[in-house]
Amino acid sequence: MAAAGGGGGGGGRATTSGCGLKRRYAPHDQEEETMNQDQSSKEDWCGRLWNGMDLLKDVTENKHVLPTGLEGIDTLLGGGLCQGQLTEVTGPSSSGKTQVCLHSASHAAVKHMGVVMYLDTSNSFSPSRIATIIDGTNDLSDQRGFDLPHKERLKTMMRSIVCKSVFDIFGMFEVLHQLEVSLLNDKVKSGGRKICLLIIDSISSLLAPIIGGKYPQGRSMMISVAMILKKLAYKHNLSVLVTNHMVSAGNGAVKPALGESWKAVPHVRLVISREHGSNICTATVLKHTLLVFPLAI
Amino acid sequence: MAGEAGRDPRAWLAVDETAAAFLSRSLSSRPPITLPPPLHRAPLRPGNVVEIAGPSNSGKSHLLLTAAVQCILPKEWEGIYFGGLGRAVMYLDLDCRFDVLRLAQILRNRIAEGCRSAHLRNGDPENDGTKDEFQCSLENTLFSDCMQRFLYARCCNSPEFIAALKTVQSQSRREVSSAGIYFVMIDSIGAFYWIDRGSQPARENKGRTLQSITESVVHELRKLLQLQPALVLVTKAPIYGEGTTTANDFNRISSKYILADSTGLGYSRQEEERTLSNREYMPSIWQSFVTHRINLQVEEAEVPSVPESKVLPVHTSEWVQPYLKTKEKFSIMDVRLWMVLALSSELPIWHPVMSMSNLTEL
Repeated sequence: MAAAGGGGGGGGRATTSGCGLKRRYAPHDQEEETMNQDQSSKEDWCGRLWNGMDLLKDVTENKHVLPTGLEGIDTLLGGGLCQGQLTEVTGPSSSGKTQVCLHSASHAAVKHMGVVMYLDTSNSFSPSRIATIIDGTNDLSDQRGFDLPHKERLKTMMRSIVCKSVFDIFGMFEVLHQLEVSLLNDKVKSGGRKICLLIIDSISSLLAPIIGGKYPQGRSMMISVAMILKKLAYKHNLSVLVTNHMVSAGNGAVKPALGESWKAVPHVRLVISREHGSNICTATVLKHTLLVFPLAI
Repeated sequence: MAGEAGRDPRAWLAVDETAAAFLSRSLSSRPPITLPPPLHRAPLRPGNVVEIAGPSNSGKSHLLLTAAVQCILPKEWEGIYFGGLGRAVMYLDLDCRFDVLRLAQILRNRIAEGCRSAHLRNGDPENDGTKDEFQCSLENTLFSDCMQRFLYARCCNSPEFIAALKTVQSQSRREVSSAGIYFVMIDSIGAFYWIDRGSQPARENKGRTLQSITESVVHELRKLLQLQPALVLVTKAPIYGEGTTTANDFNRISSKYILADSTGLGYSRQEEERTLSNREYMPSIWQSFVTHRINLQVEEAEVPSVPESKVLPVHTSEWVQPYLKTKEKFSIMDVRLWMVLALSSELPIWHPVMSMSNLTEL
């Protein structure tokens, strides 16, 4: 029964999508194969039971907080982006969402926290901006590259940011699958450090076109992406940052895109708005341990 | 079978047990459970399945966590009365949004309040502000004891969920040495709804539809409840999609009919939206499995008697099955629930829910 369930789960995702293309969703085929091998033994279920103290220990030892480098946002997030959690930043256009992403990437690079993977959907990744941000940070705090010249230091930091362009949902499935496979095989990436931060700039531009309308496949793909991201974050201690845009909610108000089904997906949601040069940032709910009601800075 | 039974038909008519014996046996083996409000209004026993439904951010997961803390706390410990059940909780996380720090915070608050009220009752004036080291280590031992009784498992898709339900009984016996699981919590039963609906039975014997997956889930849960009578608490998020009108569609349709009396129409529109969003999407086999239902909603309101007088979202809870006419209001601040008393009066009075002892006052 377990094998049939695994096959059904794999078969389900390999069927045609709304636009009629048949794509191979490799991660689920892989799951299906392992499920087929473990037909008879129930104990080989891939998860395990944790108890509360193990969970607490895992969170305090393994799951660190990655500061974004922007003070206001770090205060709202309670220190920064939590590893193992999915953080969403939403806001109207040109309110600074991409800047938040670039700042988090450069901060992670400067502090040598690990490799940053940046999935860019709208060609908004700008290496010159990253270089400016890294130059702007305090060089005295960087101890590792103490005797290297400035340009070399900059090069090593920028090498730890890997940028990939994805333009549709299938491309993103491929990239996430490759990431998952390489993490499972423990391959060494970019100088021996593990990936610590995954940024998807404008996941809504990939998901919004497919979720509208009558076909349930669009929503099922959105939920599949969400589950893959959360699984990656939890298993490999990644922190995932995604951005979303706003749509109109009737009567002139705006609300985050991707609808109500997406509301339950991220652990933390932030709304940014900007007013002529000053940044006003409000945090909306869905954070677990911090304050439940909105807070503005 | 007819041959065997034919031998002694009078054995059929012999009484198994009287109703009084039956009642006392079931009360002792499945005692009524008191859960923290707002779940306390309906009588619950092990074997009941409670479904907590509500839109996102209406406090469903928080209710689960407070009920879990209620279960893992002991009834009495080192002379301090906590009023808990002291049994294990099994938490199946399908949403993968569980945060253990929040559970730890709620548990620590409950332990601290229990110790503080015990000190006040004993009349220890010098232990008001400071806690000595002995006290801290006692609290820490209690904390770790309780956390050991909380079992957690994550599932990323429906097959994993079904496999987890199958193995939870045997795996939990390894972890928890005492009587066993008393609460089973499933966070968001509708988490894989879209994935299961989107999958078509492509292959003959491997195809899984939503219907068959739900049947397996119900089957496994029934088996689990037979072996180990437990209370099942399930949260359910509403599903918006084809067939239901979302808020945007509703506004577009009804904007033509906005009358001068916009407040009246606004109220009814909100109510209609709510009934639409509470549309039942789980198959009927699940609906018949659920024995109790409670609906949660959230709206913005003032909380006047709270010291800082912030604008807190007010949550309302409504028991649908069994149907109770009163709606309860509560608000969550600093991971504690504040209940509204005296709903009928003009100004609602807010009262913090501290321990089970002051529940009788509510």
